[in-house]
Amino acid sequence: MAAPRIIVVGGGLAGLAAVIKIAEAGGSVDLFSIVPVKRSHSVCAQGGINAAKNLKGEGDTTWKHFDDTVYGGDFLANQTPVKAMCEAAPAIIDLLDRMGVPFNRTPEGLLDFRRFGGTLYNRTAFAGATTGQQLLYALDEQVRRYESEGKVKKYEGWEFLSAVIDSKGVARGITALDLRTMELRSFAADAIILATGGIGAIFGKSTNSVVCTGSAQSAVFQQGVYYANGELVQVHPTTIPGEDKLRLMSESARGEGGRVWVPRTPGDKRPVKQIPESERFYFLEEWYPKYGNLVPRDIATRAIHKVVYENHMGIDGQPMVYLDLTHIDRATLDRKLGGILDIYEKFVGVDPHEEPMKIFPGMHYTMGGLWVDFNQMTNIPGVFAAGEAEYQYHGANRLGANSLLSCIYGGFISGPNALTYAKSLPAAEGDGGHTAELTRQSEINDRLLKNEGKENPFKLWRELGDTMTKHATVIRYNKGLKQADEKIVELLDRYNNVSLADRSQWANTSFAFARQLKNMLEISRVVVQGAILRDESRGAHYKPDFPERNDEKFLKTGKASFTGLADGPRFEYEEVDTQFITPRPRRYDAAS
Amino acid sequence: MATAQQSAAPTVRRGVQPLRAGEGSSFLWHKLHSLLGIVPIGAFLLEHLLSNFEALKGPIAYGAQVKFLNGLPLVRLLEWVFIFLPILYHACYGVWIWLRGKSNIIYYPWAGNWLYVAQRYTGLIAFAYILQHVIRQRFMGVMLPEHPYAAFHKVQVELSNPWMVAIYIVAMIAICWHFAYGVWLFAAKWGITTGATARKRFGYVCVALGLALAIMGLASIWAFVGPDYKNAPEDPARAVSLLVAPGAVFAPVTARIVSI
Amino acid sequence: MATKTVTFEIKRQASPDAPAAWERFELEWRPGMNVTTAMMDIAANPVTADGQPTTPVTYDSNCLEEICGSCAMRINGKARMACSALVDNLEQPIRVEPLSKFPLVRDLQVDRSVLFENLKAVKAWIPIDGTYDLGSGPRVYPQQQEVNYPFSNCISCTCCMEVCPQFNEDTGFVGAATIAQVKLFNNHPTGKVLKEERLRALAGDGGIQECGFAQNCVEVCPKRIPLTNAISDVSRDVLLQKAKDFFAK
Repeated sequence: MAAPRIIVVGGGLAGLAAVIKIAEAGGSVDLFSIVPVKRSHSVCAQGGINAAKNLKGEGDTTWKHFDDTVYGGDFLANQTPVKAMCEAAPAIIDLLDRMGVPFNRTPEGLLDFRRFGGTLYNRTAFAGATTGQQLLYALDEQVRRYESEGKVKKYEGWEFLSAVIDSKGVARGITALDLRTMELRSFAADAIILATGGIGAIFGKSTNSVVCTGSAQSAVFQQGVYYANGELVQVHPTTIPGEDKLRLMSESARGEGGRVWVPRTPGDKRPVKQIPESERFYFLEEWYPKYGNLVPRDIATRAIHKVVYENHMGIDGQPMVYLDLTHIDRATLDRKLGGILDIYEKFVGVDPHEEPMKIFPGMHYTMGGLWVDFNQMTNIPGVFAAGEAEYQYHGANRLGANSLLSCIYGGFISGPNALTYAKSLPAAEGDGGHTAELTRQSEINDRLLKNEGKENPFKLWRELGDTMTKHATVIRYNKGLKQADEKIVELLDRYNNVSLADRSQWANTSFAFARQLKNMLEISRVVVQGAILRDESRGAHYKPDFPERNDEKFLKTGKASFTGLADGPRFEYEEVDTQFITPRPRRYDAAS
Repeated sequence: MATAQQSAAPTVRRGVQPLRAGEGSSFLWHKLHSLLGIVPIGAFLLEHLLSNFEALKGPIAYGAQVKFLNGLPLVRLLEWVFIFLPILYHACYGVWIWLRGKSNIIYYPWAGNWLYVAQRYTGLIAFAYILQHVIRQRFMGVMLPEHPYAAFHKVQVELSNPWMVAIYIVAMIAICWHFAYGVWLFAAKWGITTGATARKRFGYVCVALGLALAIMGLASIWAFVGPDYKNAPEDPARAVSLLVAPGAVFAPVTARIVSI
Repeated sequence: MATKTVTFEIKRQASPDAPAAWERFELEWRPGMNVTTAMMDIAANPVTADGQPTTPVTYDSNCLEEICGSCAMRINGKARMACSALVDNLEQPIRVEPLSKFPLVRDLQVDRSVLFENLKAVKAWIPIDGTYDLGSGPRVYPQQQEVNYPFSNCISCTCCMEVCPQFNEDTGFVGAATIAQVKLFNNHPTGKVLKEERLRALAGDGGIQECGFAQNCVEVCPKRIPLTNAISDVSRDVLLQKAKDFFAK
């Protein structure tokens, strides 16, 4: 029998981590990515990566990391994989260090750690404020090494369209589109790993990159994979509002001492630096004395929302608050936060060393995702998922600097498991469903290319983003969510009238986008309907009409499955694994 | 297995090709070009400018310098091995480098980019100038190795043409520029001045060097065209020995020569 | 009140062999607008200033915060990242063209894969034994980290190659980005193992010797990487390596 062939879709941290493990174990990998893998969205992660290395003499342990993660996620995460991840974290940091990640160092030459949200320990290893970039590059370099040894073949500039599933419901490969030649092809594989990131694009503007459309997840969801906890979406408290996107201002800014405040007098007209200390409202520090500015993101985001929309204390009446670093000396800032301060200065034109930054919450991360078992395999045999694309590690709210960890860990778990699975896979009957799937895809393509109508896909997308941001982010009401669902149904209907301004067969970006859009709309319904059904407040999911957590009814993983019916997806619920830590109330305002 | 999987047709890579890691010998030729510019060419330039400076002391001193140089052992061999061939190589390879660079100064009018362009044009000027200079001054007319004391006169005749003076001035500046910046480039590209501050500091040194050489060179030109040694004799040494007829046309000149 | 508009002129080319043509667009101005926003606006309403329908512009972009390195193009003649090119800081009409040194795909999209090939050619990686747990990495002092970190910030945007007069099809010059990565990996305690191989690779045709030290690379680099320092440093190392090979082999 030939060596198993694995397809990895997505070249961010999770995908590359999986590739490395497979190549190292002797498997051969085809790696698909829309962009050159070095340009994947992981590059945007800034603050750091968590591991309880306890190098600061604080008595940190992997158990405490585990507890912080589960507690931070409001107990919705299955505890077995989270525990395993936290236990693996210190070795992962060591490995990254060996791979040459330029982590910041202590004077003794050891790894430096800083504090992040939702913990009281200095647990976050970091490389300036470009940790994601540094980690991605380290993995990218290892993959390039395997590529030059012929163990990995990269398909950069290819977009995943669907899984190829045989008559027995087993994955046999994928179909993909060459974004340059517009060629549609199917690729055989014994197992596929989807590491296709988040779904930020459905919110129009988010901190996510352009490619984070969730299209791949949605495609396999429509082929029968469960999508779990879709309604759990993280809104990052500190982003830089922009016309095209919301640029992340890392939590590490607060980890290094940044303070969030607004003037006590709404509409204070004085220049910001002339507002005396006593007239500044450090609301996070006042409301959450123990964690201060480093409360988890959902808490900080809601606090900012409250200050702006309930207390009407936003700067100059605008939805913005100050994130202040000006009390920290320039050299320290440059050494530890240089990258993000550059971004702020470049895009806003104000020097954050001198003047407090103006920030506001923005959609940031998808806690939900493809449902996977503890081996990272979805309910379709042979389809694995890892990284932000799956749902497993963060419950109802992700702690800062845990995503880089979960991506790499998930990749490390999924790779070898996919290989093991593939080794025992019986040969496919017939062509394994390739011809049928190719036909289906080429029909979709033809229909789209020939479609006559008046709708522009980019305009539909903007409407989707506005709706999702308005109804399905920080504060959620069932009424608004239902409006959003109706809007999505309307957009799905109008999608049938999409007409492409570009019908060419060469590097046609609007064609590729239109295909993504359909998938975005489908996954948006999962988010909205999942939110409607979850009548409680848990982590990032907050409903003023149901302000309390309801463990009895909703300490459950929501699993959506595609029906193709007008009503949208079907939902079922699964018990959460809480065998190690009994759920307790989640209160950051009191000492707990 | 009957899938649609097929290998893509091999495509010829367009555009700039990847590095040919460790292959070829252009490194050697490049570095040779670079090194020759410093030694021996740079060294010879210094020698030449210093020798020319003797012209300020008059035809006899200048002739004596030419004589001294031509009296060095194996001088003809040295001349070819350390002057003509290196210059020829440096120049031809330099033209090759120039041809392969694609200047973009109109889009990026930055200091370093200007210097990059200037290095190419000063090099071209230098090459054209040296070619005619060597042919006309070394291989045409009075053979200076045999008649060193005729040197001053020979140059003076050459510079009696104002166009030639202009060419000499331009070439002198271009060569000094090319050399001074060449020294700076050498330090940068051979990893001597690896830091930006070091390069800046050394830049001042090279500016001073270039200015000093250019001033020296221009002063030497002045010696030939200025009023001091007008109409130098073809053989000033003999002119001195024949200094029996006061009131001869060369009187002011010879008077000076005697005073040396 | 008439809305404030921004004028763009974009060089269009449907395919590598198609003729190129300029198209003019009048777009609504918005605060903080950048060039990528303009591209998105055109996609939502693909009509030129003369009212002619056209196609959305094909261009590379991803993170929109100048860290992924995708959206390099020439804006008003200069290579830069489109996401950080704020309209308010640009002279109008804003002329947008693809990078000129790389094979054109379509419109503003070019093929920059040569950089990744070059990174392979110089073995730009740390040759670790494996990904299993082998304990902590080598000690690196903060002073060393501060030297190396800037080089690790390279986003592979290829601006340094685009603006280099020596980077062209005649020289096959490897470009500053790759040389800087050689310095980065040669500086690493484990990466050093491949130092000699990297240096020999860089002495190949198209290698470090082709640098003309015009210093455009360091001027244009959006991440302010000290590229010329790296070139100078690595040049010396390559030379010493070649000398060593010559005398010791």
